[in-house]
Amino acid sequence: MAILPILKFPDPLLKEKSTPVDGVTPELSRVIDDMLDTMHASAGGVGISAPQVGVLKRIVAVDVSGHKRGGQEENHGLTVLLNPEILAKGGRQIVREGCMSIPAYTANIERAKWVLVDALDRNGKQVILESVGFEAVAIQHEVDHLDGILFLDRVTSVKTDLFRRKKYR
Amino acid sequence: MGHFSVSVVGKDRPGIVAEVSRILFEQGCNIEDSTCTILSGQFAMILVVSHPAIASVTDLSPAFDEVRSQMRLIVTVHVLKDEEVIHEKSFLGNPHIISVYGADRPGIVYNVTRELARRKVNITDLNTQVVGTKERPVYVMVLEVDIPEGTDMKELEKEFERIRKELSVSITVRPIETLEL
Repeated sequence: MAILPILKFPDPLLKEKSTPVDGVTPELSRVIDDMLDTMHASAGGVGISAPQVGVLKRIVAVDVSGHKRGGQEENHGLTVLLNPEILAKGGRQIVREGCMSIPAYTANIERAKWVLVDALDRNGKQVILESVGFEAVAIQHEVDHLDGILFLDRVTSVKTDLFRRKKYR
Repeated sequence: MGHFSVSVVGKDRPGIVAEVSRILFEQGCNIEDSTCTILSGQFAMILVVSHPAIASVTDLSPAFDEVRSQMRLIVTVHVLKDEEVIHEKSFLGNPHIISVYGADRPGIVYNVTRELARRKVNITDLNTQVVGTKERPVYVMVLEVDIPEGTDMKELEKEFERIRKELSVSITVRPIETLEL
């Protein structure tokens, strides 16, 4: 169990594509535990991806249950997803996102309102997860990390969508 | 190490940033923070720069004389004390967006910001604009504010209700809910 340093843009690893997990090993479980520790250590942190801690594996974790608005919406609590694939998505919502890897900015990003995700849970069991609202945003943001996509790649206007953070966390 | 604020204002045209940054580069200054905008055709930029050796305005300011005369820019340089330079801004309250709009008339900004100041609400960003047509101008103001913990929001809302009636404007206050990922 350890809090790992978060890679910050422009670290080139953040632009890499991560490789699928094949098999749940004790090593992999340790990486997951460390990711969760790191996510919980970040103020208000509701999501994390393995590449953000320098591990180029397709692992994400989200937990919006403690978030002011996300917690009031339907959510799955602490959720670890291995090899997540977004099978289907629909609707549109714009949410202000912050990213531990881009600490100086926040941005309004358009995402799907609901997603259907195929993944393995942390025990390697297949799960099909339907997610809406803030949790769906968190999943889409973290899955983007697995493909080397940052919210900066999704900003449509620097002038209206990107905000210099007034409050560093 | 010396820190300076450098503000630049002048009629907008291509090349202002390039010229100002060239001078800073030639002087050996490091740009630590900057922002710029165009207001009614006037280009405005503020930079915080540092220099490993220079510590006084009189050693830096004359370097801008050429753009003052050639590009007709107003360039003002101030010394910042080290303790005034804060890299990690920390506002401890809750961030909110306040949007205000209505028929253009004097006093909209003052009436709203006076109530904020009374409650020690810090304005962290402010944009105002007149939109609509010449015949029916609409004034739009968007503020990003930091509302201190413990502020009586109901009482603030009551005050805003008074302003809405007095100035016939619409005022909306909403928290900025950032998803930290």
